[in-house]
Amino acid sequence: MKALEVRSISKMFPGNLANDNISFSVEKGEIFAIVGENGAGKSTLMNIIYGIYTPSGGDLLVNENEVKIRSVEDAIKLRMGMVHQEFMLIPRFTVTQNIVIGDEPHKGIFFDYGRAVREVRELSERVSLTVDATALAGDLPVGVQQRVEILKVLRRGAEILIFDEPTAVLTPEETVELFVTMRKLQTEGKTILFISHKLKEVMEIADRIAVLRRGKLQGIVNKKDTTEEELARMMVGRNVVLEIPKVDVEVGPVAFACHDLHVRNKRGYEAVKGMSFDVHGGEVVGIAGVQGNGQDELVNAMIGFSHPVSGSMELNGKNMRMVTTAQLRKEGMSYITEDRARRGLVMPYTIRENAVMGQHLARPFSKGIRMDYDKVGEFAEGKVKEYDIRPGDVYDTAGSLSGGNQQKLILARELSLPHNFLIASQPTRGLDVGATEFVYRKLLEEKKAGKAILLISLELSEILGLSDRILVMFEGRIVGETTPDKTTEEALGLLMLGVGNDKKVQS
Amino acid sequence: MSESNFTTKFLKAFGIDNKGRNRRDPLNIWVPLISVGLALIVGMIVIAASGRNPFRAYALLFGDSGLIPGGAAWRREFAELLIKSAMYIATGLSVALAFKGGLFNIGAEGQFWVGAIVATFFGYWAPVAHTFGAMYVALGSFGWIAQLLHGAICIIMGMLAGGAWAAVAGYLYVKRGVNIVIGTIMLNWIAWFLITSWLAIGPMTPPSQTFTSGTFYVADTAKLLRIMMPTRLNTSILLVLLAAYATWFLLYKTTVGYEIRAIGYTANIGMEAPRAQGINIGRRILQLMFFSGALAALGGSFFILGLQYQFPNTATMGYGWTGIGVALIGQSEPLGVVLAGLFIGALRTGATSMQIANIPKTFSNIIEGMAVGFIALQVAVRYYLVKILQRRRTRTDPPADQEAIA
Repeated sequence: MKALEVRSISKMFPGNLANDNISFSVEKGEIFAIVGENGAGKSTLMNIIYGIYTPSGGDLLVNENEVKIRSVEDAIKLRMGMVHQEFMLIPRFTVTQNIVIGDEPHKGIFFDYGRAVREVRELSERVSLTVDATALAGDLPVGVQQRVEILKVLRRGAEILIFDEPTAVLTPEETVELFVTMRKLQTEGKTILFISHKLKEVMEIADRIAVLRRGKLQGIVNKKDTTEEELARMMVGRNVVLEIPKVDVEVGPVAFACHDLHVRNKRGYEAVKGMSFDVHGGEVVGIAGVQGNGQDELVNAMIGFSHPVSGSMELNGKNMRMVTTAQLRKEGMSYITEDRARRGLVMPYTIRENAVMGQHLARPFSKGIRMDYDKVGEFAEGKVKEYDIRPGDVYDTAGSLSGGNQQKLILARELSLPHNFLIASQPTRGLDVGATEFVYRKLLEEKKAGKAILLISLELSEILGLSDRILVMFEGRIVGETTPDKTTEEALGLLMLGVGNDKKVQS
Repeated sequence: MSESNFTTKFLKAFGIDNKGRNRRDPLNIWVPLISVGLALIVGMIVIAASGRNPFRAYALLFGDSGLIPGGAAWRREFAELLIKSAMYIATGLSVALAFKGGLFNIGAEGQFWVGAIVATFFGYWAPVAHTFGAMYVALGSFGWIAQLLHGAICIIMGMLAGGAWAAVAGYLYVKRGVNIVIGTIMLNWIAWFLITSWLAIGPMTPPSQTFTSGTFYVADTAKLLRIMMPTRLNTSILLVLLAAYATWFLLYKTTVGYEIRAIGYTANIGMEAPRAQGINIGRRILQLMFFSGALAALGGSFFILGLQYQFPNTATMGYGWTGIGVALIGQSEPLGVVLAGLFIGALRTGATSMQIANIPKTFSNIIEGMAVGFIALQVAVRYYLVKILQRRRTRTDPPADQEAIA
């Protein structure tokens, strides 16, 4: 039986055909993956199915009946459920409160918390998704928070579950656990739509895979009959070099150095506990580590958002411990962030306004107090062409761009600032194959130009492919230093988890 | 590029770029218009419910508001409209500018009165007043130069003081994390009571006068010039239009404005993006509060130099509060604030004659409050507007099968 069928769905946005005549059907009990680059129309399609957008044309069928889904309520009534990429949990509520919110068991007019807890426990046992029903959602690790989201959707009786890039925020182990859960749901007869751009994961979990490119369906393939390479070709329309070429550059003088650096996080807890390292010109130093081991705090200190409590920090030989972001920028620091929406760009600003932020006080973008928006526009037009930012209208807001194009805009801005030290913090997070490749190419160009690069990443393939030296970070300390040719993903993975810390003594 | 083209330049002056496209959200215009329209309709219902004729009430309200030319008293009403509006526009600009930077300056009221009392002081203070008095006499037929200079000094000193008053709240916010709403509202009351319970009945009053007579009167040279005799219309409306242009220029043409808007757009997510680009957030917020306070104080100086000529004992609060409504209706855009200020000014002017016809003035307040209320509900208004527009779009472009049924 077909659980869901999409018949020639189209969605028109002003000046952009996000979905172009897409048709496919999903069998009951199937794990159906939808892959595509950022901006290929995956999220639009899911939002149509889940009632957030109304399609410009086409029909939807659920359980072989034609339906009109005008709102999320309609979708829920049709037993659909979406597990969002960014969780919508209330951190101060308990797991139970989060799961029952919107449909609470009650005794008269009073919320029956006891019964809610019992219901949640029963449900979590039945589907064997273990959660502590009375824990505060905010205290849980990301993987468990996702489990709470899944339980919330199941409690509403969902039969069709939509997972919107569920692994983007998970550690490798949590991903494995999620896949176990998905398989379990499948055996219970649930239908799963899995949206992703990580081909490895898709190949692992999906039964069938639909590939979208620029709003069009490129084809539907059985997992058995395809390979990662073929999927990548379908996604981007050409052969992608997933291997990163080796670039050898003569190492220059030290650009950035820190010694015995201690940094506190926002709560006053010491998150970086004495780190010492340096980055030379023409060198990529990779920092590998599981998220939450002090990387964020280290970056915050390096960009002047927080001051280290002790230790030294130098940029081009100048003491930079207690300085502002502006001073660091002036000394030649550039910064690519993974948090594009908060830290990278001003989303309601246009491409041209974003393109010069940081150098807007310099000529030719301003003279005295006056901004010269003509010059800003010319500059942005040039960068849009150079970096192939699409759609390339400099009057579009940054928020209207897809993630990959936003990252290109950030790269365009940061690399055009005068700099000799580049901090790249998870520069490919959430990006598709094409954009990832673009970022790698740019980073290697930077290296060739003799810039010092600090790469902080959770992706081991990225760390191994790009770095000249690798530092492994665990609980705020460097627990190992190695080079890509002397290590493997497995060995790094163990170090990252704090196994075999004695290696530090040997090196 | 065809930069020399006059049309291009003209369009650009109105924020329309050289590709001939204005990328501002069209709903920014429709939302306030619809809110005002809804407020007028609700106002009619309220008036009708009180057993009065809403059409007669509106005829009086708008007929005597100075908006519509004609009638014996039109010139006077028009003058009153502009005098009132100038003050509302000034405080409206003050609130709007702060909004653009993501700050809710609820203290325009206090800044208005600080500006007023300081302008009064420099208007009568002997060393200044005598200098310009002597200058006026010496210059003979060029005496207007002395008038211009004295007026300018009073206004500038008022604006500096109002700006500094607002900057106190900015400083507390930046350095001590005191919420800007709380900081500014506290300073309102401090300013108000410092002035009305001390300065205006103590050190700034003539010793021989009674307790209730207010401060010294400002010198003639400090008064704003009248520009439409015999009405009391003065240059305040021109000055406030200049201030509106300056605000627009600051926001959309200067580096400071560029940074302020970036801060405002990211205010609710921690302002990290501008900060990571090296923008000094604290300094900009301080400057922004200073400019904002100076604009409110400009309104205060109009109140003294154009209208009262002293700080009267009968002064009542309200100009700054009205500015919040003006900024909301004007969608925090300088041009919008000017239009909204004129609308509120018209309501207040017409209300007086409505009252004469035994229809309470309160009704115009109801309309005003409703307009602001609907603006505050603009998320909902926008939501339904978008829905209606979408429905119309699908209706004009029906799917083929529905057409067949029809």
